[in-house]
Formats: sequence, structure tokens, C-alpha cells
Amino acid sequence: MRKIYVYFISLLLILDLQGLLAQDTVLFPLKVRAGIDLIGPGFYFSDRDNLNVEGFVSYDKNEKMAWVLEGGFQSYKYSQYNYDYNSRGVFARLGVDLNLLKPDKAAGTYWAGIGLRYGIGIFDSETPSLYHENYWGKTASSVPSKKMTAHFIEFAPGVRTEVFRNLSMGWTIRLKLLLSGGGGKDLKPISVPGYGSGGGMTNAGISYFITWNIPYRTKTVIIIPPVEPEEDEDIEETEESTGQQRIGF
Amino acid sequence: MKLRHHIAFLLFAVLTVVLMSCTPEACFEETNAFLKATFYSNETKEKKTPDSLSVTGIRMPDKLYDRQSGVQPCLFPLDASSGTCSFVIKINNIKDTVIFQYSSYPHLVSKECGYTFYHRLDTFFVRNNSFYIYRSSDNVTTANEENIRIFY
Repeated sequence: MRKIYVYFISLLLILDLQGLLAQDTVLFPLKVRAGIDLIGPGFYFSDRDNLNVEGFVSYDKNEKMAWVLEGGFQSYKYSQYNYDYNSRGVFARLGVDLNLLKPDKAAGTYWAGIGLRYGIGIFDSETPSLYHENYWGKTASSVPSKKMTAHFIEFAPGVRTEVFRNLSMGWTIRLKLLLSGGGGKDLKPISVPGYGSGGGMTNAGISYFITWNIPYRTKTVIIIPPVEPEEDEDIEETEESTGQQRIGF
Repeated sequence: MKLRHHIAFLLFAVLTVVLMSCTPEACFEETNAFLKATFYSNETKEKKTPDSLSVTGIRMPDKLYDRQSGVQPCLFPLDASSGTCSFVIKINNIKDTVIFQYSSYPHLVSKECGYTFYHRLDTFFVRNNSFYIYRSSDNVTTANEENIRIFY
């Protein structure tokens, strides 16, 4: 009885191996990544009142999908003739990156796809001074610092390429939808960390990441070769062999 | 995508962001929250525009309306630094003083426009009862919403 089991298991393994040999396979390196954004610090050189620092870690679940956790810090100051505004806080985004490239094209080196994120920003919003003028004269006031929490979702298409061994660069466009800005309808925050301008329900942004990749496992991915239609070949062969042309009426 | 493509894109992105930061911002929204009053006939109870309207804030040198015709609605600015405002109103030849009591709170119009003050109307008085006032809405905002009706 034991020999029969061994025989069947061996037979199954052989059949399975034959199935694999009949298809194309690629070795796809699954990676853990850590990256930092270059746009925020770059922008800080032109506007010293607005600092946005962010980074991410991601973990390849398989060749198509990676879990992503992004986090960062934002300090924002804005001033104009009738008010001053400050906000300062942290944010996090959790979601997935979906690679639209085929595994044989991506090969663990290229990524082009979309990211989906849920984001949360926890921050202090303050208006140290505000002025309003009407018929009765000028009124000065302020809005004290208040802790706020904002929620948003993102749709983030982008590309990434390994430019050196285990070092990637790539950009992501961020299309954002604010679910809740905090502050209510009267004291909406002017800037929400991780989201940007808090005035609108939608917003857009861009990130340019430099990423360090750490391969942790190599996965064998089966590639299904495109099936060529056999009938056409037969027809062509027939036409060539007979030297005749079909005429349709 | 090669390294030089990435660097070119990065430079382009930084340039775009810098240019966007230099774009002038303008305010195109209404930044004053007026108490909006519509005039009605005391006899017919129909909407009726005064032939002549004069409105002056108490202790203010300037008139808001000076014997103006065709005013409908009348916009009363409220003083955010005080909880009460009084106006001398002259409709055609009838003159009286109206006192509004309210609370004020800041409201962000937009990043470009900054803040305004919204008000919540508590009560109002007409000193000599020359007019009858009906309250439509307590919320004095920048929205085009009637707050009171003045019957004369």
C-alpha cells in the first residue's frame, strides 16, 4: 500500500513538472522597499515656510501587488494682508501598488501602475491673527490652535525604474479626494498634511521617490505564451501551396 | 526609463512647482456677510420696493443708502466686534431705529480671500414700532438668503 502511494505521488510530481516545462516561466524577485520623496525638500528651498518630508515602505505580496505604508511630516505657514495661518502635523497613507506591467517585462526592475491609498492627517491648525473690514471698521481676531484630523483617499498612477543595483527612482502623480478635512464648515484648514490645500474636495500632487530595494524572495512566475491562431496558418499554407486566391463576391 | 530621463523629469517637476508657487492668487468670492432684508407692504403683504430708502448706522458718519430708490433687498453690515448694531432707517417718509442683537464667529472664505465673520441673529427691536419685522433666517452669511422681512 505504501509503495502505491509513493508511486502515485511521484507520478503527480512528474505530471506537474511536465506542465511547468510546457510553459514559460520567469524568476521574479519580490522586494521590500524603502523610499524618500525629493519634491518636498526641493520645494522647501524655494519656499522656506512650507516643509513636507515623506517616505514610504512597501512589501511585494506577489509580482502584481505590493502593500504600501507612507508617512511624513508637514509644517506650513501662510501669510497675506488679512490673516496669518500655521499648520503642523503628521500624516500616513496605507494602500496598495498594482503593477500593470507583465512579470517578464517588469522583471522586478520596472514598475508602472496605479496606487490606491487611504490617508489620514493629524495636525494642529492655527490662525494667530485675522482682520476683517466693513462699514463699521476693522475687526481683529484670531483662531486658537486646534488639533484636527483629516481623512482622504488617493488614486496614484506612476512609474519606477531600477537605475542602479537595488536603487530605484520614479514619480507618482497623486489625485486626492478629501473625505473629511476637520475644522467643520467654518474653520476649514488651509493646508492638510499629506493632502495639501484643504479648501477643495479634490487636490493633486506629485512625489518623486528615490527607493532602496531589498530582495527577500524569488518567485517563479508562469508566463502564458500568446496562442497563435492555427486556422490562419493552415489557410496561408494552403494558399501558398496551391498558389490560388480566393475571390469573394 | 533611463537615469537622464528621471533627472530631466525631476527638474521639470521642480520647475513646475516653483512656477506654480509664483502664480498670483486672487479673491473672487463674496467676503462680506450682510443681514439681508426684503421690503413688504404692510397693507397688501406683498413684496414692495420703497420709493426712497435711507439707512445710517448709529454714530457712523457715512450713510449706507441715501434716498435710494429700487433697493430690494437691503443689505445691513453687522459689527463683528460688538454684539449689537443699530440703524436709522427711513422708508419713504417714515423714520425709525432698528436694533439688531447677534453673535459673531469667524468663517474661512478661501485661502485667497481669508476670513469673514458670520453672525447668528438673536433678536431685534424697532424703537417706535413704525415697521413690523418678520424673521426668516437667523444665519447671516455670504449666501444669498433672506434674513428678515420689513413690513412698512
